[in-house]
Amino acid sequence: MRNGEIRIRDAGVSYRLYREKVTTLKEAVVNRFRHLRTAEVFWALRHVSLTIEPGETIALVGHNGSGKSTLLKTIAGVLQPSEGEVLVQGRISPMIELGAGFDAELSGRDNIYLNGALLGFSRKQMEAKFDRIVAFSELADFIDMPIKNYSSGMYARLGFAIAQDVEPEILIVDEVLAVGDERFQEKCKARIRDFRTAGVTFCFVSHSFDAARELCSRSAVLHHGRLAFDGPIEQGWQRYRELERGPVPGPQIETG
Amino acid sequence: MTEVAERAPAAPAPTPARGSALAELLRYRQLVAVLVVRELKVRYKRSVLGLLWTMLNPLLLMVVYTVVFATIMRSPQRNFAIFLLSGLLPWLFFSTSVLQGLNSILANQELIRKVRLPQAVFPLSVVGSNLVNFVLSLLPMLLLMAVLRQPFTPALLFVPAGLLILAVFTSGVTLLFSTFTVFFRDVRHLAEVLLQMLLYLSPVFYDLQMLGQHEAWWFRAFRVFLRANPVTYLLPLIRDPVYYGRLPPISAVGIASLESALTLAIGFAIFHRLSPRHIHYL
Repeated sequence: MRNGEIRIRDAGVSYRLYREKVTTLKEAVVNRFRHLRTAEVFWALRHVSLTIEPGETIALVGHNGSGKSTLLKTIAGVLQPSEGEVLVQGRISPMIELGAGFDAELSGRDNIYLNGALLGFSRKQMEAKFDRIVAFSELADFIDMPIKNYSSGMYARLGFAIAQDVEPEILIVDEVLAVGDERFQEKCKARIRDFRTAGVTFCFVSHSFDAARELCSRSAVLHHGRLAFDGPIEQGWQRYRELERGPVPGPQIETG
Repeated sequence: MTEVAERAPAAPAPTPARGSALAELLRYRQLVAVLVVRELKVRYKRSVLGLLWTMLNPLLLMVVYTVVFATIMRSPQRNFAIFLLSGLLPWLFFSTSVLQGLNSILANQELIRKVRLPQAVFPLSVVGSNLVNFVLSLLPMLLLMAVLRQPFTPALLFVPAGLLILAVFTSGVTLLFSTFTVFFRDVRHLAEVLLQMLLYLSPVFYDLQMLGQHEAWWFRAFRVFLRANPVTYLLPLIRDPVYYGRLPPISAVGIASLESALTLAIGFAIFHRLSPRHIHYL
């Protein structure tokens, strides 16, 4: 495999649905662990095969509960697939939400270091990045202020500013561009285009066709945990619209 | 299975490397440090005395215990306060770490759902912050030793080694309990009861030499339990140098090191095995 490549082969993620949720030992013993035997298995994702080449930009599309967020989690390594395999080669920002783990009580400065530590960077490595991150976020005046005083746009700016500086080979972005003002959105898009030119693989989750079309050439449409379409973005969006309107035809796979 | 191969040699940023869970944890040691500092900050936020509480706490405790044991119960031990503190402080470090640490996976579930990282950092950072507290609480004890004219001997230099062994053991137990709590929430209550019982069944308030001879069966059972209790071998690591002014017997150090290393190895192995399933139970 080459750096930046993602290879998903027949991947499935299952959750056990318990009719009664058993979380205490007493309940488990009283029921003689029946819950383990009678649990229904729900597949949030099943039989998904997808190969994403280095430098490719792909939009993951699907309505709520379609499994796109589960897929994203398995790519990021937050979730292990229950069957099949998900192979990811290269540096990936192992975070499915920008700014995950920000501590509202801490200042922007402390949060940059905290976020860096969550990503596995040392303090020294983060010090080298610090000025660039602050410059990109345009939050220099607010960097020593607790981020609970930040607006949601400022919050997202800081999150994206950190993510774009971890030198990823695979970049995962989940709806970040919906927040922040237009000018900052443009700046993010420009940065993502730079990444694309540099050969960074880009996975984008969005409900906005315009944003997706602008940044991605390929789309994968998920429907009820199955891959319903894999191909050019325009056709993918069409398929997504169809599925949304439903009556839903059985999950099927087309390759465009 | 998410598999991520080795990164290119020149790459400066992190790449998750599967296979070597320990190496990955080591790469996140800075995160443990960050979490320890954050935990200490949170614990003492908005308290006027802040870290001083850590030092005040054992002193206040000791006043109570000294009054109860030394005055009311007329304990024959000389400088009973020191005797007590040298056993109680290590015990408190152990039991507080376990009780706080078993919640750490649940407490950080938001993060675990969103960021891929070795989850062991959470229980381990709880042990770390309690270790800092423990070390700080030793300072007022040293002060008290000076006041009570308890001799300072070179054996005190062994204390850091004792702390290390105790921390290794505590880490192993905390890892185990923190992963079990994810699957069964009542592990917490179980742990509270067990620790309460273990406190009296471990040589904290007494010493092995202070036990007399009885022929009653329950007393013999108690002695057997004491010999099988891992905590029995850990407590002399601190009490012997502090109170008796001597090095702990080499056999005790050997057993303590061995059981601690084994506990951590087992604890980490089980934690590592079960942690991918945590997310389904959070």
